[in-house]
Amino acid sequence: MNRRRILAGILTAALLGFFALFLLPLHKTSESVVPSAQPSAQTPPEPGKIDSPTESEAPLIPAPVIVAKAASRPPVPQSAAGLPDIDPRKAFGSKNAPVAMEVFSDFQCPACKTLFTTTNRRLMDDYVTSGKVYLIHRDFPLPIHAYSRVAARYARAAAQLGKVEPVEQALFQNQEKWEQNGDVDGTVAAVLSPAETAKVRALVKGGTLDPLIDKDYALGQTYNVNQTPTTVFHCKGQTYPFAGIMTYDILKQFLEQLLSQK
Amino acid sequence: MIWIGRLVLGGIFVYAGFSKLLLPNAHLWPMFVLKFSISMNISSFAQQVESYKMISPEASQLVAHTLPFVEIVLGLLVLIGWRLRIWATAITVILVGFLAVVTRAYLLHMDINCGCFGTPEKLTGMTVVRDGAFTALALLMTIFAFMEARKPHPWSTPEKA
Repeated sequence: MNRRRILAGILTAALLGFFALFLLPLHKTSESVVPSAQPSAQTPPEPGKIDSPTESEAPLIPAPVIVAKAASRPPVPQSAAGLPDIDPRKAFGSKNAPVAMEVFSDFQCPACKTLFTTTNRRLMDDYVTSGKVYLIHRDFPLPIHAYSRVAARYARAAAQLGKVEPVEQALFQNQEKWEQNGDVDGTVAAVLSPAETAKVRALVKGGTLDPLIDKDYALGQTYNVNQTPTTVFHCKGQTYPFAGIMTYDILKQFLEQLLSQK
Repeated sequence: MIWIGRLVLGGIFVYAGFSKLLLPNAHLWPMFVLKFSISMNISSFAQQVESYKMISPEASQLVAHTLPFVEIVLGLLVLIGWRLRIWATAITVILVGFLAVVTRAYLLHMDINCGCFGTPEKLTGMTVVRDGAFTALALLMTIFAFMEARKPHPWSTPEKA
């Protein structure tokens, strides 16, 4: 009797295992339905003005996407030079590096903050400056975050002045503050000179940055990005998208393996 | 009831454990990519555990590195039905814990992912209701398992004098 029960249990577990494995690809497919981009036509906020959450609050359950299904996966590039729409002011390292990393990130997402604060600096020091990795920052402001698009606009504007690093750092390090009060402008102004702040505000007000953010967002959709951060590794014609955060040690092991691949 | 509980809860526990290890990143080959996938999935799960703000980052790492395996083992044991009373009780205790944690987060209006399965899933009232239903089922399964054990085994009924 006991043997029969054990056998039945093992068979059920095996069946469930197969079922779970079968579910994985299905699950992957359903993930391609990602939140739609926030309307880019919305008016940029007045510099210095704090957005009220009620005005810019995004829907809690994102609307289904219309274009993601139609978008096809970009061709697999052999090097970073083959990647589309790279803003050189938001990319670091050598274009000819053997590994390219595209990081789809949202300034208001806590996991993105963790990835940035724990991994980014060491990655830059050990792999990017030595020409082994080409690091590209991509904007993927999730509609569930009220201020992430505003923050992305400010970071883009700062990038145009060559000040992306201090601004990104300030935005991530003060995330808990500005996500409460919406004071992205004040956070950015704190690390820029008054002249630079004025230029950044003018760029944000100009409304020319949203199409660039939307381009990154659309690119993310082609990789089926549905959460942030998502890192897409490109190496020797292979593309590996990974969602979630990683510790520097895990990343280092993976990069070493990628670099030693023949 | 015992069979339903075993199949449903055992299946869910096995799936929950596997999904935490293999989702959202499920690159199965080559081996170093699989290893990186699992490491990233565990890191992301640790982040979700930490977002409940109940335990330290180190404890979150410990939970993230052990809970998926515990879930798989418990799920399999319940599916097999060996020493059911013990494992059904263990599952019930774990589910009561999950329910308490999820309810606390919901009442505190925490804007977090529940971390129940591998993929991000916003913690809502439905999550609490679902966890409550699982806990009730586990409780019933445990009670029935104990009741079943008290009955004399059909093969061992005493012969009539």
